[in-house]
Amino acid sequence: MATSNPLRKFLFPALTRNYLKRLIFLGLGTYIFFSHVLIPLRIQGHSMDPTYRDGSFAFCSRQQYLFSEIERFDVVTIRFSGHNVMLLKRVIALAGDTLEFREGTLYINGEQVEEPYVQHHSSWNLPVRKIKPGFVYVVGDNRGTSMARHKFGQVRIDRIIGGVIF
Amino acid sequence: MKLLRIFLLLSVAALAFYLLLPNDEKKIRKNLDSLAEYCSSPSEETAIPALKKVMLAGKLCSDPCHVQIESFDINHNFSKKEFTDHILMLKKMTLDTRFSFHDTSIEFPMDGKADIVSTVRLDGETKGSRFTDAYELNIQAIKTDGNWLFSSFIVVEFMEK
Repeated sequence: MATSNPLRKFLFPALTRNYLKRLIFLGLGTYIFFSHVLIPLRIQGHSMDPTYRDGSFAFCSRQQYLFSEIERFDVVTIRFSGHNVMLLKRVIALAGDTLEFREGTLYINGEQVEEPYVQHHSSWNLPVRKIKPGFVYVVGDNRGTSMARHKFGQVRIDRIIGGVIF
Repeated sequence: MKLLRIFLLLSVAALAFYLLLPNDEKKIRKNLDSLAEYCSSPSEETAIPALKKVMLAGKLCSDPCHVQIESFDINHNFSKKEFTDHILMLKKMTLDTRFSFHDTSIEFPMDGKADIVSTVRLDGETKGSRFTDAYELNIQAIKTDGNWLFSSFIVVEFMEK
């Protein structure tokens, strides 16, 4: 049948040299794109609730900080020993800033900061500290857990893999 | 087309050769996977299999074995007995928890010694809700009588509150 030929060709293509070349380029391109440009993330855990919920998906853009600096309130991914398991946190203070939590309220450089992304307010108390050069201060949006159980703090900028989009 | 077929065939043969050839790196990776399995605690695990697993975990480590976790003020050489006791305690504390190693890189600075950097991930359930946690580890392994034994575990604490 004339109509089934294109479909048949599409579904069962002949293994020609050009077809194999295209297949290899497509495979390599996809691999490079999703491992070095836009890394797919599956969120596991509640540290960034409600902005990124447990079980949801997002992408890490590795190019985000190639030509721009990290800004306060950016959501970033932080690596452990590689790119398969990463932490998702929000940057709340930059190098040279002073930071403090008083009864759960954030103070940057002595001024109170509103955090509209925080839904579970805490009673965290953290004395004033200054962020070291080459570091940023990160914390999760979910402050409903105790300070001891929540992973946050100063982290070297070179640990940051990229920004989070979507 | 014939050349392409030969190239593909050679690539598959080289890949198969690499995957099947045993080497030190693969042995260490296998030991890490075994250690993760022995430390994991499935919900249905009873006391005897748990003890057996702890003994097997102990066999993967040297005597003594150094453990350093700065945030818990632990920096100590543990004897095999102490080490297995702590694993048993850890298993009791983390019921229904699965350990797994990811992003593992291995270097051999000298013959019979390996430096490993890896991320251990914990997936479990506590009080009815799921939890996930991860830690970066610097691990050292030494080759003793042909077997790779883990001799040091240091938790890399890269976040400072």
